[in-house]
Amino acid sequence: MNLVYLVPLFPLLGFLINGLLRKSLSKSLIGIIGSGAILASFIVSILLFLQVKEQGALPVEPLFTFINTGTFNIGFAFQVDQLSTIFLLIITGVGFLIHVYSTAYMHDEETKHFGRYFAYLNLFVFSMLLLVLGANYLIMFLGWEGVGLCSYLLIGFWFKVDNYNVAARKAFVMNRIGDVGFLLAMFWLLQKLGTLNYADVFANYKNLSGTDITGITLLLFLGAAGKSAQIPLYTWLPDAMAGPTPVSALIHAATMVTAGIYMIARSNILYTLAPLTENVVAIIGLATAILGATIALKQNDIKKVLAYSTVSQLGYMFLGLGVGAYTGAVFHVMTHAFFKACLFLGAGSVIHAMSGEQDMRYMGGLKKWMPITNITFLLSCLAIAGVPPLSGFFSKDEILAAADLHNPVLYWVGVAGALMTAFYMFRLYAATFLGKFRGTHEHHLHESPAAMTIPLIVLAILAVVGGFIGIPEVFAKDAHWLEHFLAPVFAQSKALQPEHLGDATHELMLMGIVTVLSIVMIVWAWRKYSKYQPAAEEETGLGKVLENKWYVDEAYNAAVVKPVNSFGGFLKNVVEKSGIDGIVNGAGRFVQYSARQLRLLQSGQVGSYLLFMVLSIVVLFLIFWNQGIIIAFIQKIF
Amino acid sequence: MQLINALLQANTTAVATATGTAADYFPIGIQLLFAIGFVAVMIGGSHLLGPKRRTADKLENFTSGIESHGTARQPMAIKYFLVAILFVLFDVEVIFFYPYAVNFRDLGWQGFGEVLLFVSFFLIGFIYIIKKGALIWED
Amino acid sequence: MNAIILSVIIGVVMMFCSVFVPNKNSYRHIASIGLVLLLAGNIAEMHGFSLFHINTKGMLSYDNFGLFFNTIAIASTLIYVLLSGRDIQKIGTYVAEYFVLIFFVLCGIAILSSYNNLLMLFLGIEILSIPLYILTGSDKRNMMSNEAALKYLLMGSFSTGLMLMGIALIYGATGSFNIEVIHAASPQQGANGMSELSVSFLEIMGMLLLMVSIGFKVSAAPFHFWTPDVYDGAPAVITSFMATIVKVAGFIAFIKLFDARMLGTSVETNKLIGVDWKLLFAIIIICTLLVGNVTAVFQQSVKRMLAYSSIAQAGFMLFALFSMNDVAKEGILVYSVAYSLATIGIFAILVKMKDFTFEGYNGLGKTQPVLAFTNTIFLLSLAGIPLTAGFFAKFFMLESAIKTGTYLWLVIAAVVFAAISVYYYFRVIQAMYFKAGDAAVVEAPTMSFKIGLLLLAAIIIYFGIFPQALLSWFYF
Repeated sequence: MNLVYLVPLFPLLGFLINGLLRKSLSKSLIGIIGSGAILASFIVSILLFLQVKEQGALPVEPLFTFINTGTFNIGFAFQVDQLSTIFLLIITGVGFLIHVYSTAYMHDEETKHFGRYFAYLNLFVFSMLLLVLGANYLIMFLGWEGVGLCSYLLIGFWFKVDNYNVAARKAFVMNRIGDVGFLLAMFWLLQKLGTLNYADVFANYKNLSGTDITGITLLLFLGAAGKSAQIPLYTWLPDAMAGPTPVSALIHAATMVTAGIYMIARSNILYTLAPLTENVVAIIGLATAILGATIALKQNDIKKVLAYSTVSQLGYMFLGLGVGAYTGAVFHVMTHAFFKACLFLGAGSVIHAMSGEQDMRYMGGLKKWMPITNITFLLSCLAIAGVPPLSGFFSKDEILAAADLHNPVLYWVGVAGALMTAFYMFRLYAATFLGKFRGTHEHHLHESPAAMTIPLIVLAILAVVGGFIGIPEVFAKDAHWLEHFLAPVFAQSKALQPEHLGDATHELMLMGIVTVLSIVMIVWAWRKYSKYQPAAEEETGLGKVLENKWYVDEAYNAAVVKPVNSFGGFLKNVVEKSGIDGIVNGAGRFVQYSARQLRLLQSGQVGSYLLFMVLSIVVLFLIFWNQGIIIAFIQKIF
Repeated sequence: MQLINALLQANTTAVATATGTAADYFPIGIQLLFAIGFVAVMIGGSHLLGPKRRTADKLENFTSGIESHGTARQPMAIKYFLVAILFVLFDVEVIFFYPYAVNFRDLGWQGFGEVLLFVSFFLIGFIYIIKKGALIWED
Repeated sequence: MNAIILSVIIGVVMMFCSVFVPNKNSYRHIASIGLVLLLAGNIAEMHGFSLFHINTKGMLSYDNFGLFFNTIAIASTLIYVLLSGRDIQKIGTYVAEYFVLIFFVLCGIAILSSYNNLLMLFLGIEILSIPLYILTGSDKRNMMSNEAALKYLLMGSFSTGLMLMGIALIYGATGSFNIEVIHAASPQQGANGMSELSVSFLEIMGMLLLMVSIGFKVSAAPFHFWTPDVYDGAPAVITSFMATIVKVAGFIAFIKLFDARMLGTSVETNKLIGVDWKLLFAIIIICTLLVGNVTAVFQQSVKRMLAYSSIAQAGFMLFALFSMNDVAKEGILVYSVAYSLATIGIFAILVKMKDFTFEGYNGLGKTQPVLAFTNTIFLLSLAGIPLTAGFFAKFFMLESAIKTGTYLWLVIAAVVFAAISVYYYFRVIQAMYFKAGDAAVVEAPTMSFKIGLLLLAAIIIYFGIFPQALLSWFYF
């Protein structure tokens, strides 16, 4: 038994205590237990991190055997290496801050709902830790499903509003579609290698054929696209904003949605060997980044802007994975966790002050009343917009530089997205904090309590300085600490990738251009929206399309939901009710006649049931004797 | 012959091989044909050839010469069926004694024991139905 | 042998209890004691203590698989009686007889898990079915119940007819009722070697009819038509028993029948002559999954939804027959436990509800938190969410199919259908927790009932975390 098992144990205990005793504990006690559990995990995570830093990855020790049949064996084991410790720190660290924040944010809830909230949140952290700690794909899958469940529960936390339930269900179903891919990939691996342990899979990748690897990685990516909200499964994430704001910060910005990135970074060797999948990942990532950014330009709900911004940033991470910049992607996960959590919590603070109003057309000028929220929000906006030397600049630049080496087209499209990011973030900032107050309840406005502002400050500081652990090669030799730290995890891939270093002056020049352009965008947005007055008339043309999110939800409704519904309705109305009679009619007068005769002997329904049974026996019989032809036909199709 | 072979035996290599297959069923098939044909011819023949005089008397149900009253589809006491089905049960039990009687000597004491077991099962059932009141006719 | 004879003896003893013991409340306790005795008897036999030594002339044979399944069936029935005994009592006046019939059904199950001869298969299926016809109609004053019983009887007799026809054809082709002899006899090999392999038309036809008639019993599409009507019409407690223990027993009979045929040398020879049962099973699985899952989505009544869900679950269990390897045999055991326990729990709660529609569950999370919580666990298990037994059940089934290396599309389809099933199971959870309303129960559940439900949920989660525990008993 080593230290690592304590990490998920604390949140689990927190979940059990808060979940079972939510009616008898007081609110402050619930808050202390909930946050304390995460703090304890965080401390243990730091110890683990130091240990890994000293002596490298810890040995994998199974706690117990999970499944053991003659042919395969899956242990319940945790793997603590460089990659998982980084994620541990993000999850428990940011998680702790958000728990503290929640104690104040959720204070108006009834005690039992307050308890339920913290129980779910603890359960979420537990599942997320399981996800990143597992030493095989099955444990990852357990955590994967667990976070999906918690996300479902928390999106629908205010279950009295029907729309929120629909949003929760949408999130769950979209995730399950992705899970299909994950499950199939696991089965595929089991079939070919007989194991799901990372160590065994990555050691034996040579036993997999090219098709196997491409198929497995594509299926895994389908799973990642579901969880990390990539095209075509991203639509649940904006709707997920129905949950309480700290939940959006923790689950839908900082941690859960990065699970897909973790999974691909973990399986990096497989992806390196599948160039086709890498291209798919890069292109889908980039497309998502652009799509999210364009939609964010026109949203008016403060949380929706942040949600689409998250979709867009996740797209950048996938772009990084797709072009082989695994370190860059993980780096961006980290910095994104800092600034996006800070933004969401800042938005929460604003919503708190505005008594639940989320539409930024009714905000403005909040700077005066909320100085701390204002300054932290501004710093995070600068970070996400990529202004040096804030954290977002370094991580985004690393991904874009890698994309440039891969293909300059990816780079320039990516830059376009980054410029849009700068624009919409400062549209958001200026419309919210600058100018004049456009709402009605001016006297309500107030700065949030310390439990909310302290996490904001901590996160803002991290968002400012977080980038310095990954200073690019062009500025200083060997200053990229994160890359050295993560090197063992990506060593196998590194060995297979041709090392090509970019031209330093070229890179510096591009960096300069992008920075200048970003600042231009920022200034433009600042000037345009600090005197913002919402236009009365409706948007037209492209603006309207963007405001309606490219009509993707409507398209999905028409293309998927409606057909499935009507197919089900068809089965119910036609096959279930009249289908049997219909077949009887279709078979002609003779059958009708005999069916009528049969009805004289038996109740009509049973008669047609039996008739149908006999018909199907005949059909099965014919199939059986002609199976050679049928199998050949099926093989031709698949 | 070939046709019947093909019908009765699906044979991927089209070679009739082992014993106990199609050929053995040929006489059965012939007999079946004859049986059905005979019945069909007889019924059809008498139907076609016989004179038809439809009178009210002829359409009456045959009730041993007694005139029938009312319809046959009247609700009947469930007790009637209960007693009838119990009668059949015990009747069948008695039938089992015939083959036993024939083999009485050959089966010896073991056979006697087994029949005793058989009878005692029925006895248990009999006690059960009496205790349950299945044979009480009056309510 | 112990299980077969003890279940009959205990059944007869219970019959006489109805005459000599006036207190109706005591019957369920007597039944529980009887089930414990039966369980003890069967476990004793697993360890080699047989109470009865009867020469069945090879008509019955006992192996670990069958005996272990008996244990599962008896233990599930015990749990069922402990949880729902009070509700069985409420069906009608002949309380003891309901329990008697359940014991007779168990006798049929014990025969099905050990038959080695087609006549015994027939006998087992009939001993299993006839008490069920009566139990289905046990709510005598209810027209629905009567109609269901009649339908079940009519269609059941039809399938019995098919089975007898199949047995007769097989006997005609091979000259034996013994399944080992039958499987050894086919396919026949010509004198000149492989080129003259042939398989008798009659035998294939017979196997096909047997497949249909057992498929009927386990409600595999397209022979499932009776299931929704009968499950819906029968008293909910009885439906619970039929949908779980009885259905799973059908699968055991199925596996024993097709076991030798698919295994060993006959696989290769079957392939050579172009006869492969996999395609048929694949088609039946697809039909069953399609009908079960898609139709369940549109139900308004939870009871009817569960009937379709049981069809859908049968589709998954059919995978064991499709793949017929070691993983499949282990898997069907895990599946039968996971599925039976969860469904028994769901029905135990359903019986307590005043209104069987989805709306009837609205707000159960508030009015009856324990019931709602355990119901959630059971539903999650049926949906196959990890950390419940249901996940591993599905996992084993799909794994077994993948091991066969062909028909990958079937596995993909099954996973898709499993995803669809989440929708209708979550509708119940959503109604319980996320919809306003005050779900009414017929009577306040007792403390022991709640504790029983919690224990059942704990067992399901335990097997979800340590599926190994179950299988280690199998290998003991």
